Amino acid sequence: MEGRSRESLIRVRSEDPRPIYVQIMDEVRRGVVLGALRPDDPLPSVRDLAAELRVSPNTVAQAYRELERSGEAYTRRGVGTFVASGVDPGRLRESLARGIAEQALREAYRSGVGVDHLLAEIRRAAGQDARPEGASTP
Amino acid sequence: MTAVRTEGLVRRFGDRVALRGLDLRVPAGGIYVLIGRNGAGKTTTLNVLLGLLRPDAGAVSVLGAEPWTRAARVRARVGYLPESSALGYPWMTARQALAFHATYHPAWDQGYEHSLVEALEVPVEVRLDQLSKGQARGVQLVMALAHRPPLLLLDEPTDGLDPVLRDRALEILADFAGSGGATLLLSTHLVHEAERLADHVGILGRGELVVQHSRAELRERLRSYRARVPEGWPEPAELGGRVWARSRSTAEIEWRVWGDSDHVVAELSAAGATVREVSDLSLEEAARTILSAQGGRNGDG
Repeated sequence: MEGRSRESLIRVRSEDPRPIYVQIMDEVRRGVVLGALRPDDPLPSVRDLAAELRVSPNTVAQAYRELERSGEAYTRRGVGTFVASGVDPGRLRESLARGIAEQALREAYRSGVGVDHLLAEIRRAAGQDARPEGASTP
Repeated sequence: MTAVRTEGLVRRFGDRVALRGLDLRVPAGGIYVLIGRNGAGKTTTLNVLLGLLRPDAGAVSVLGAEPWTRAARVRARVGYLPESSALGYPWMTARQALAFHATYHPAWDQGYEHSLVEALEVPVEVRLDQLSKGQARGVQLVMALAHRPPLLLLDEPTDGLDPVLRDRALEILADFAGSGGATLLLSTHLVHEAERLADHVGILGRGELVVQHSRAELRERLRSYRARVPEGWPEPAELGGRVWARSRSTAEIEWRVWGDSDHVVAELSAAGATVREVSDLSLEEAARTILSAQGGRNGDG
């Protein structure tokens, strides 16, 4: 609360079925993919991000630990956590896309919709210019 | 390390048994959320931890001390937010009451007090008996936090706050938890508010802990399973774990089972069901599932 720096772009949703630490990890990845976070950029401090998101600091620390373990971030003791130097936005985009696909598949399966049907509908929806303004095909 | 521990805590009020053998374990340096319906024993538990009530049986350790034999030591190191928003000195202004409260706490941090007063919009020149419930709650939160105690005991902390101040109170609590290893024990029946904060969860039903786990363990152990089953399907007696809830439509059954996911799915598949979905429960869904089963409709908890 005291003297907090500006807000981060990290958002989590309580209704999201994924654990909050996983949501934080994916938000950091999204930041890298979109270019908002670059290699060696600092992540918010655990305390600041916990207060900003109204989550337990242990949850933020867990997200940072897991990002470190997967080589996407590094921590300098007493300084903070940073985006890894060698982080590859292309690979992160792939892993985000996989997550979105898995979510869509789960939802489709739950409703008795098969893979082919789902893919056809995604193509059709994309063809109807469902993309928000400004979005571009990578 | 454990910040708060009770063993076999029993407390009666006349014929009514409020706590029946409570074994609480609150790990140091995290947020423990105590969930229960009204009358489950949450407030009694906190009052015993603070030394305001003596238990009829059982042992209590709060930051390594027994609260009623080391009352001064424990109260100096604990911040407490009572359930009731009534304040002791109705003729004082909020500013006077805070200054008075500060004299009992050598560790009182005036800078922190001011930032809390501002964030919670406490009208410091108003007499306590003229404050709204939410404003009184704000004063109580400042009183609980401003000496930066290593342990906070909070009874329904957001009760009476409007949506803006409620959100600010949650921000203050998350920040406090990150300010150097503090332990927070908060009781609530507004579970959706605590969802993001909870590191550890205790679900209290009728004076006993039905469940006490880390949030991660609870998420992993209690899940929802939806499966399509053939007509006239003989449901197996064993599902590889305790069934807390079950609901059935014409072609689909949903179970909420405490157990190992792979094991439960294997049992269901082996019995001829087609498992369509295995999903995590929100903290609120998990608590509701457990507390309504405990209510007696699905057998004794």
